[in-house]
Amino acid sequence: MSLHRAIRGGVAAGAAGLALTLVATGCSSGGAAQDGDELTLSVTTFGTFGYEELYEEYEAANPGITISATNIDTGGNARTDTFTKLAAGGGLADVVAIEEGWLGSIMEVSDQFVDLRDHGIEERAADWVDWKYEQATDPDGRVIGYGTDIGPEGLCYNGPLFEAAGLPTDREAVAELFGGEDASWERYFELGRQYQETTGEAWYDHSGFVWNAMVNQLPEGYYSADGELIVEDNTELRERFDQLAAGTLDGLSAAEAAWDWNGGQSFVDGSFATFVCPGWMLGTITGKLEAGGGDATTGWDFANVFPGGAANWGGAFLSVPVTSEHQEEAAKLASWLTEPEQQVKQSAAAGNFPSTLDAQEQLAADATPNPVFNDAPTGAILAERAEGVQAQFKGPKDSLIQENVFGPPLKALDRGETDADAAWSQAVQLLGELVD
Amino acid sequence: MSASTIPAPPISETLAPSPPKRRRRGGGLGNRPGFLTYGLLGAFVLGSAYPLWWSFVVGSGTNRTRAETLPLIPGENFIRNAITVLDAVPFWLALGNSLIVASVITVSVVTFGTLAGYAFAKLKFRGRDGLMIFVIATMAIPTQLGIIPLFIVMRQLGWTGELGAIIVPMLVTAFGVFFMRQYLVDVIPDELIEAARVDGANQIRTFLHVAVPAARPAMAILGLFTFMLAWTDYLWPLVVAPQNPTLQVALSQLQSGYYVDYSIVLAGTVLASLPLLVLFVVAGRQLIAGIMQGAVKG
Amino acid sequence: MTSTLIPPPARTTPRRVVKEPLTRRQRLSRFDLKASPYLYIAPFFVLFALTGLFPLVYTLVVSLHDWQLLQGQGDFVGLANFTEVLQDRYFWNSIGNTLSIFVLSSVPQLIVALVLAAVLDQNLRAKSFWRMSVLLPYVVSPVAVALIFSSVFGEQSGLVNNLLGVVGIEPIEWKNDTLASHVAIATMVNWRWTGYNALILLAAMQAVPRDLHEAAAIDGAGAVRRFFSVTLPGIRPTFVFVMITATIGGLQIFAEPRLFDVSTAGGIGGSERQFQTSVLYLWEMAFFRQDFGKAAAIAWLLFLLIVGIGLINFLLSQRIASAEKAVGSRRERRRSKGARR
Repeated sequence: MSLHRAIRGGVAAGAAGLALTLVATGCSSGGAAQDGDELTLSVTTFGTFGYEELYEEYEAANPGITISATNIDTGGNARTDTFTKLAAGGGLADVVAIEEGWLGSIMEVSDQFVDLRDHGIEERAADWVDWKYEQATDPDGRVIGYGTDIGPEGLCYNGPLFEAAGLPTDREAVAELFGGEDASWERYFELGRQYQETTGEAWYDHSGFVWNAMVNQLPEGYYSADGELIVEDNTELRERFDQLAAGTLDGLSAAEAAWDWNGGQSFVDGSFATFVCPGWMLGTITGKLEAGGGDATTGWDFANVFPGGAANWGGAFLSVPVTSEHQEEAAKLASWLTEPEQQVKQSAAAGNFPSTLDAQEQLAADATPNPVFNDAPTGAILAERAEGVQAQFKGPKDSLIQENVFGPPLKALDRGETDADAAWSQAVQLLGELVD
Repeated sequence: MSASTIPAPPISETLAPSPPKRRRRGGGLGNRPGFLTYGLLGAFVLGSAYPLWWSFVVGSGTNRTRAETLPLIPGENFIRNAITVLDAVPFWLALGNSLIVASVITVSVVTFGTLAGYAFAKLKFRGRDGLMIFVIATMAIPTQLGIIPLFIVMRQLGWTGELGAIIVPMLVTAFGVFFMRQYLVDVIPDELIEAARVDGANQIRTFLHVAVPAARPAMAILGLFTFMLAWTDYLWPLVVAPQNPTLQVALSQLQSGYYVDYSIVLAGTVLASLPLLVLFVVAGRQLIAGIMQGAVKG
Repeated sequence: MTSTLIPPPARTTPRRVVKEPLTRRQRLSRFDLKASPYLYIAPFFVLFALTGLFPLVYTLVVSLHDWQLLQGQGDFVGLANFTEVLQDRYFWNSIGNTLSIFVLSSVPQLIVALVLAAVLDQNLRAKSFWRMSVLLPYVVSPVAVALIFSSVFGEQSGLVNNLLGVVGIEPIEWKNDTLASHVAIATMVNWRWTGYNALILLAAMQAVPRDLHEAAAIDGAGAVRRFFSVTLPGIRPTFVFVMITATIGGLQIFAEPRLFDVSTAGGIGGSERQFQTSVLYLWEMAFFRQDFGKAAAIAWLLFLLIVGIGLINFLLSQRIASAEKAVGSRRERRRSKGARR
């Protein structure tokens, strides 16, 4: 009998739970409870945006507004989330963070996002580095994002390894060595061969990141400014590819697994001496270094130089979907979050590099030394590296081409399984199969 | 499927006096397993348990602990890391949400799964076999794309952002129905049901007094598995109700950022698995062979 | 009552069953009998209609159109998506990978699960501890699983390669070699799910009446013989269940290959798609190539494949779990005839 009662109890509990759920569902707060000036704005970010305290600040300054924030762990999951909701026709937050890598795809449906010129962004346009503002402008001239951070690229190098090869170790000397203002990829590979001959070790971790930087620098990458795919007969692209292939086949690549780097150990055991470093990568390296058993004494440093000139990798924007029921308020919040003052605070909290000029100046002036990178004033260096970057048009399949079209041939080159011609052919073939 | 009939006792037993027959189920033959058995089991359990132990060891160390090949000794930082976790994410809210979601789903799946499983296993009705095959077939469809239309449904119903949106799609699972059906089909002799009916019991009484006692071990397993599944689900709760985060969603925030301190991440995952471990202990008792109560004595 | 001396009146109407109107009680009982089954299975179907049917129909509709993920519905293209997918070499690559990983995972897994369940079925000390311990893998977070297995199967300094080195075997390229990657992923899957399946089988084994075991033992059957003659047939329905769910699950493997290689962000399962399973391919098609229509077509094609293989495995499991039953009953027949060895 007790079992009978237990079962009955269980069913009752279940029913009660169900009822509770449905009731809770029924009297939901919906998107935002509006009661006069009472308003809840939802924000979705990913990775480390460092906005927690800023949210509190905004709420304090704007009584009546509550911020409901969701932070998704990785860009990948955030992308799944955003794309799912776009595909479903709605459900996005009032303010959504968009990554530079998805920008190409988002631009295809840029009409799903509010034209921020209707909310005064043009008055602030000069706040940002011009190319960031341009990136957020769609082909019809609508501006759909407030720039948050950027990833200007500098060169990370390992001091002790350079020393062992007879190369200078002082940051400024290194910048000179690579050519300073006129740093070129030729010089980069030349030095690499020199290093390889002297020490027998690789120069860079794998071809993928180098290729990424080489492509990002071009005025036109995989797509022309009009949105045409321009990979196949692109001589400039092919030249760079050949350059990279030659270097890799000469043993300059450590053929590492990106994002893993042998559990971080490759940063510690001298597998490679240089590394492509956008601002945010400094944080990644720090984490991997620790996981691999290293630290500041491993000797990584950050030089104010980059082969081929200025380059940018990554960065994000805050945008307002048209499905938002509070576009004006959302735009205000997004705008505030991306003002120079807030960007400085964000940078301190999250370690990313701001896209507004004033914030950059602030960081440059502070010149905070980064202990992991031999006390390099990374903020100041990055500010300089941000100058001169050109906004490149990112087509809809840009990241796909980067990862799935060029990824495999570059990997094959890293492993010495192919030559430049065959690798390029493979890329073209993949392009035909994966991108229509 | 043939129902199991109680076989006629072998001649040997009727000829010779035998110890009083205990209608005890399971448990092999009662002879003590040897050293080899325990050794193999031990090895298996070690392999199963080490990753959890590893999570604890790294979670009580620092990011550097990851560099060790075979970390065995926990560090001293667990409390500190755990406190960081509790500060960084809305842990208690998320824990509460996870408990509600997982409990409601579990009770519902077990209840309706047993009901439907019983019906498919023991009751005769038109279309029974066809419908059962349909139920099984629904498991064969890859669900990864389903988040998009399911999200559309939830939006239409206005449930996005609420726990209901997480719970409702999982209230009854084909797995549960199929599992209970397979278990019950042999475990409940048809005669018992007939006997109950002859005694004048209606369907629901038969179900409650004959089927449920027999189904208890399977219900415990199904309940445990369903709870674990609901507890560890990540993508759907993330997409549909991030404002009411479950534990997995809340903890994933620790992984965000360029610099990831895995010791904190893993401390968080250890915290999240504690309720499951408690459940293991509780459910474990249900799985011990015991004397069947109630129905069989009839 | 009429006295028996007076004969009953002659029948003037043809003999037929007199249908008296049913009492309320009887009507309720009849209703209870007929309607209950449908009521009991209703919750599943109602819920399915709400949350399962629409996604199904939606995916079907999507597969028949040129449907880009973000841009939305395009033109109706009939079966064009299906034919394109069937001509796509990456699709077939993924099917090959899926089948390979499936075999490598389910076969050892089921065998070990059966053996493990049989071992756990015994009269062990600290039963609860042993039984629950085999479930521990399920509790470990995906983060930890990814980190650990990535490290264990690391190509340069992973545990397995180190151990192989001790015995003098060359390091294996777990992430680059196709078969090796399948083995690694199958290991991850097996590690996680073996205990799970073992407990399901255990629950069924516990329900097998002890008398059968005793009877067989008295007849002189050893433990192994008993396993095949008594245990397996006794758990046949559950065994079938485990075969079918393992088949369905095994052909839909998604999380493990995704976790295994952190490097290829594009979701292609290894730089040359060495271990891209079909569901991973589906995911790539939907979220990276953003061709929703083709992704839906892949989902349906995969469904057909799973149904097909599921059917085969169903028949197989029926045979496995009943082959010995014939022997068992032959024995019984012999016994009851009094013939004894």
